[in-house]
Parts: sequence; C-alpha cells; structure tokens
Amino acid sequence: MIDAQVVQDTLNRALTTGARFAEVFVEDRSSTAIRLDDGKIEEVVAGGDRGAGIRVFHGETQAYAYTNRLDPGSLEEAALAAASAVRDGGDRVEMVDLRSGPSAAPELPASTDVSRTQKVEWLREADDAARAVDATVRQVMVVYGESRQHVMIANSMGDWTEEVRPRIRLFAQVVAVRDDVMQTGFEGPGALAGPEFLRRRPPSATGEVAARMAVAMLDGRPAPAARMPVVLAPGGGGILFHEACGHGLEADLVQHDASIFRGRLGETLASPLVTGVDDGTVPGEWGTNAFDDEATPTHRTVLFDGGTLVGLMYDRLRADGDGVPSTGNGRRQSYAHLPIPRMTNSAILAGDARPEDVVASTPHGLYAKALGGGQVNPSTGDFVFGVAEGYMIEQGKITGAVRGANLIGNGPQILAGIDAVADDFGVRHGICGKDGQGVPVSNGSPTLRIADMTIGGTDA
Amino acid sequence: MSENAGVPSLADLCARAVRAARTGEGVEAYAGGGRHVDVRVRAGRVESLTSAETRGVGVRTVIDGRVGYAYAADPSLDEVDALVDAARQSAAFAEPDEFNVLPAIEQAEPLSGLYRETQELVPAERKVSTALEFERAAVSAHPDVRKVRSASIADAVSRVAIASTRGGPVTYERTDCWASVSAIAERDGEMQMGFEFALARELDDLEWEPAARGAAERAARLLGGEQPKSERLPVVLDPGAATAFLSVLAGALSGEAVLKGRSPLASMVGQSVGSPALTLIDDGRLPGGTGSAPFDDEGVKTGRTLLVEAGVLRGFLHNTYTGARSGRPSTGNAGRSDHRSVPGVSPSNLSFEPGTLSAEEILRQAGRAVYVQDVTGLHSGASSITGEFSVGATGLVVEGGALGRPLREMTVASTLLEVLSGVREVGSDLRFFPMGGSIGAPTILVGEMTIAGT
Repeated sequence: MIDAQVVQDTLNRALTTGARFAEVFVEDRSSTAIRLDDGKIEEVVAGGDRGAGIRVFHGETQAYAYTNRLDPGSLEEAALAAASAVRDGGDRVEMVDLRSGPSAAPELPASTDVSRTQKVEWLREADDAARAVDATVRQVMVVYGESRQHVMIANSMGDWTEEVRPRIRLFAQVVAVRDDVMQTGFEGPGALAGPEFLRRRPPSATGEVAARMAVAMLDGRPAPAARMPVVLAPGGGGILFHEACGHGLEADLVQHDASIFRGRLGETLASPLVTGVDDGTVPGEWGTNAFDDEATPTHRTVLFDGGTLVGLMYDRLRADGDGVPSTGNGRRQSYAHLPIPRMTNSAILAGDARPEDVVASTPHGLYAKALGGGQVNPSTGDFVFGVAEGYMIEQGKITGAVRGANLIGNGPQILAGIDAVADDFGVRHGICGKDGQGVPVSNGSPTLRIADMTIGGTDA
Repeated sequence: MSENAGVPSLADLCARAVRAARTGEGVEAYAGGGRHVDVRVRAGRVESLTSAETRGVGVRTVIDGRVGYAYAADPSLDEVDALVDAARQSAAFAEPDEFNVLPAIEQAEPLSGLYRETQELVPAERKVSTALEFERAAVSAHPDVRKVRSASIADAVSRVAIASTRGGPVTYERTDCWASVSAIAERDGEMQMGFEFALARELDDLEWEPAARGAAERAARLLGGEQPKSERLPVVLDPGAATAFLSVLAGALSGEAVLKGRSPLASMVGQSVGSPALTLIDDGRLPGGTGSAPFDDEGVKTGRTLLVEAGVLRGFLHNTYTGARSGRPSTGNAGRSDHRSVPGVSPSNLSFEPGTLSAEEILRQAGRAVYVQDVTGLHSGASSITGEFSVGATGLVVEGGALGRPLREMTVASTLLEVLSGVREVGSDLRFFPMGGSIGAPTILVGEMTIAGT
C-alpha cells in the first residue's frame, strides 16, 4: 500500500522526541450502499475513503495525528505532529527496522463478480417477500451495504501487517399498520465476506423475518411494568452478555477504575451455567478480523468460565499497563480514531437444557424473541436493552404479544440470575458504539432464562 | 483547512464537479474539510492528544429524476471528474422520481460570529492546560468525586462549500469548541457517573467550570440509589432527559418520515397534538446555536420553522426532495453527517419555547413525582415510528417540593403523544444539547408516566 521505506521513515520521524512506541495505520476503504425505500431504489452510493493515523506512546500518554493524505510529505507532517505532542522526552532516537516485510492476512474468498443489477434485484426480492407476508405491511426499507477495507499497520516493535476486510450486510426495516397502531420489525444479517454471502442468507428471508415481526407486534398489548422471569431466544442472550458484562470487561474501563468488575478476576460472579467468550477468529463472522487494528492477531478470550470471571479484553496500551499480552481487542472505526478495547464476536456458550423445556418450566414470564440494542452504565453495571418482539409466557406456554418494553437490570446480578441455558445457539449482528466509534460486532447465545428481571412496560 | 498553494480550495473542487456536468444533468458537489484537536485527560495526565486535518467531496447527480451519489476523501481535481462519472453510473441503477430536483443555490446572508479567527490561533499547549484544569475542577468539586472516566477539551475548524448546476459555490466556515466530562462519585464501593459538557465558538468563551461542577454534582447525588416501586407517577424531566425525548419526537417531525408512513404525526397537521403549554420551533439561524449555518447541506438558506404552536401541529421539517413531494418549499433542513452521506432531513436548532417557571418552581408544583436525570437505551427503547418509548433512567424522588433520595435501575415508559398531551409545565431553563442536530429543552413536568422498578 505504501512503500516500505516511507513507512520506516515515518516511524523513525514519530520517535524523534523519545516516544517509547510509534505506529502507522493506513486505511483505504471502498463502499457501496444501495437503498430501497417506499417501493423504489432510491439511491445508489459509491464511495472511497482513505487516510493514515500516526500514533506514539509516551509513558501513558498517546498522541495521535491523522490525515487523508498518504504522500510521504503528509505522513511526515503527521508523524511530527504526533511526536511534538510528547516533546518533553528528549532526543533519544531509536531506529525502526522493518526489513522483514509485512505479514499478510490470509486472502478471503470474496467474489467481486456480483453485478449491480443482481444487488438491486436482491433488494427487490427482500421488498417483495416482506410485502407478501401480510396486507398490513405498509412500508419497507432495505439497505444493502458492502465495504472493502484495506488496512496496513506497522509499528516500532517491528510488527507489520496487511489485511483486506470485506464486509457485507443487508438490513430490512418493515412498518405494519392496522387501524391506528403502527409497529416495526427489522432483520440485518452481516458477515466478513463478499456479496456472495447473500446467496447463503437470501434477502427474501431477511425481508420476511422483518415483516413477520412487525405484523406479530400489531397484536401486542402494552407490556407490564413489573419484575418476572425472562426467557431470551437464541442470540438475545448474547446482546445481554454484551451489555451486562462485556463493556465492563474491556480493560480501559477496568484500568480507569470505572468498571463494576474492577479487581474481581477469579471471583465467581455469574451462574455456574455461564461460560462466555469473545472470539475475533470465528471464520467469516461479522466481528472477525485476522489482526486487530493494532497488528495483534485476533484471539479467543474466555471471559467467564463456569461462572468465574477469568479474562479481560485488552488493547496494546492497556495490556502494557497490566504487563500482559494484548488479547487482540484493539479496534477502531477508521483511521480517524484511536484504538480502544472492544468486543468482536462475544457469546455465551450453549448448555444442555432443551429450549422447549426452558419455556415449559416457566409458569409466568416474558419471552423475548428479538431484541434491539442496549446500553450500559459500566460504573454501576446497570444496563437496558429493548425487546423488539416479545410475548408473555403463561403456564409454560408462549401466549400473546406484548410491546413497548425495555428490560433493565444490573450486570453482575443478572449474570448470577441465569438459571437455564439451552443447547441451541443463534447469533445477532450489529454496530456497537463506544466513545463515539462504531465497530461491527456479533452477539451469540443459546436460549436462556433469567430468574428475575425488571420489564419496563407501561402497564403498571 | 489551510488553503495551501497547489491544493485546490473546497470551492474549486465543487466548481470542477459542476463543470463536468453534461447537458440536462443536474450535478451538485458538497465539500467539507477541517482541522480538529481533542485532548483527553485523566488522573492529572494527558491520556491522549489527537490532531487531524481532513477533507472530502460528495457528488450527487440527478439524471432524468434518478439520483446517484459518490464520494472520496481529499480528491484531486481529476479525481473529482471521476467522482461525477461514478455518481452518473450509480444513478443509472436508481429509479426515477419527479421530485428529485436540485435546489437553486443563492448567496445566503452570512451569520455573524460563526467563525472566530482567534480560535484558529489557540496553541495546543493552552488546550492541554485547560483540559488539565478542567479535570482538576471536576475532582475538587465534591468530596465523593475523586476521579473522572475522562475529561476532554476539543475544537474544530470546519469549512463547507456547495455548488451545483443551479448555482454557487457558496461557502462558510465555523469554529466550535467543547468541553465534556464524565465524573465518577464513589462511596462504600458504589460508583455513579455524572456527565456534563459546555459548548462555545472559541475557548475564551467556553464555560467549562460550571460543567466540571455540574458533572460532579450529578454523579454524587445518585450515590445510594434504590430501585423504585413500579407505578404511574408525575415525572419531571431534566433538560437533558427532555431533550432525549425531543430527539425521538424530531424523527416523527421529519418530512421524510411523514411521506414514507413512518410518523405517528403524519395526518395531524392543524390538530392538537399536545398541551397548550408546548410550542416547538426549529431555528437554523439562532445566534450562537451549534446547529446554526447560513445555508443547509444542499445550499438552501436556513430559516425558522414553527412546528407546534400552543399544542397544535403546524408542519414538518423538509429538505428539497420532501418539500417538493409535499408541495411546499424546503425549510432549509437538509442535513448530512459529512460528505459521505446523501442529504436527509435534520433539525438545525430544535427546541421547546421556554416557559416562565424555574426548575425549582417546577419541583414545588410537582407533588410526589420522579425526577429523571439521565436516560439510557434511547436507540433501542424509543421509536419515532410507533411513538412508543421505554428507556432506562436514573434520577431522584421529588417530595415536599424538592429533590429527595436517588433512584436507579428503573425505566420510564409512555408514548410520544401521551407525553405531549400530559405536559403540565415548561420551565425557563432552556438548554441545547448536540443530539443529531442541536436540540434543546428546559425542565418539563409531565402529568403521568409509568415507572418500572420492583
């Protein structure tokens, strides 16, 4: 992407004020987005973005400078800007040697021969399938998004990697209307892959799932405002895990003494049924990369093992601080962002209960078939997530739909309160936001039950 | 961005795109660029110092009613020609719509004070020293607050140019400066977080000290909170919480949502949608407003739009497309996050008109109520389409006319229309927050909402 000599010179320039570490991150990304809305292909957007970020560590301070320009002069300017931010370090000059050449990530089999005509056709298929579900389907929006992010990272430790990351996602949002009730449904599978992924996950199925959700919720009555057991469908528990403890186990928050999980490694905090991992290596998964955004190979990190907290997620800076290796969780939205510890593909692993038995053994509770996103306050551990499609469970049977509920709980308490984990498994895909940066993540889990949780409906 | 010799100006880049238009084609170019510095401090040390210089161009073509769009980071003049080509090719795959038209671009009256040259000259050292002082102020404001999650001082110099086959280029430049802090209060092993911020056009005007004290106070007063009982109660929304609510309502006031059947307000113009105490205005030229600009993101002069007048819905926000399709002019509310996005509809400075009561007077009138300080889970728990919302909240009990003990792990739920019609008092303490545009609200007392807890 960039001449080896230029990379080396840039790193050397960045080290001139005595930084203990310097890094160059170069990115070239091309994206295509096609939107169908209101029955029409409304817009087709093709774009390119490129830039480089130069980072240095000086003690615990990071200085970062980024630019869109990749010519040697602009890279030098950015390196000097980063270096001058930590200029109290004297004039120690350490030369970087990158002669060994970059380690390339394995090439992914992403086909580029899918025509725009085919992509447009996929959107129409999703739209048709959604509208065919029921006459109450009023509006359908389908967005096709693909990107190809070419990343090169080199640092003064001699790490040098290059990776091409193709990503694809097709998202459908459906509005169903009956009388004066309007409800929505959505579905949005994604992958680290090229457009051929949509041959395995047909757009028509995505449109249909979204439409069925919207139509089902038209029958919903207002959700209760009360505490009760909650059964989460496959994948939903992954979103819970992400919010209930995932963010609190990202090492920046722990090191800042701002996480409720600080100083609790080795303690049994969750139910013994809970084994949870973060795994950036799952082939083709939405949150997967070969290397993280700091040239560290991605990794499978066990966070909870049979209920015991055993791991944290690290980027390079925080790993240095704790004297441990990075777990390959240093991620950034783009060259315009500093890497921070982030989840990749996080999951609660399957247990051995049968999903139908989990529901059948619940006398009264809520069945959350689909969840929206959530949010956590990592300092208190209190978190919420939205139920996009929910039903009441009565006498062990899933009954009528309920709508308009967020669930709220406290991370450690909810993890301890998981009292059934089934042997199925499902994954949901999303964009996780932290410190103003969005990165693709997946959340996986089997069907599971929380013994007692607050349902934030309107029916008090 | 310094307009260096040899580097084309943003206006030059736009003009080049327009020159590439073929007969009968509409071509519009939006170029944005700027410099940005962000200093984050924690525990008395600089945690990170980021500096950046970026620019980019987005080209929209309208060919026989079909829209195509292409963008690139920092393109050369030749690359701009290629962008026009890429947008043209994209347009071939879109479907025609007679309302896809480019607006006429006229020189808009400049907004005074939007750009401060003095801010461009502030040295990085001063931003660093201010950030360190800012954190010190937060951790010395309250005995239970000894640390922050992070405190930051940041600024940006931004420039925008727009030109199309219907006029321009028009340009403006602006400076923005902001301070934000999440303070952590701690007692007996319990932690609580309080967020505050300040915004200004330049560092000299930035009132960071009240933000530092406010964050500490907001964190400390939540310590020792308990989960409330589930019940329906009057709710006092803090300006931030009221703004979060308004940001959801803003989605339902977008002309695009209305046209596409995604707004519960679609058929209610001229009808009462809320309490007579409510008047809602979008003002793109508000002096000092962070959402103010002389023209919107497709070059249309900004203005003032009355959306709700004493509880009666008067209209919606429009860009050129949604306006044309609704048979009315654009309200100057075309918005894009940057050069990479096709213009949508966004509020500029959207706010409830303030009332006459102070926050204290509202608390005295509230009776037994819940004061909501912060809400979480807005993106998953609140929908501008269904009008339903259920959000996580922290806050305090209101009793005896004042704030009492803290509350945690609760949700607050209702519907947009129920809240609007249930508004009993609108305070005088209007404050704007940067939430997808600049959105503002004062303290608001709502008759009844459902609190879920134990």
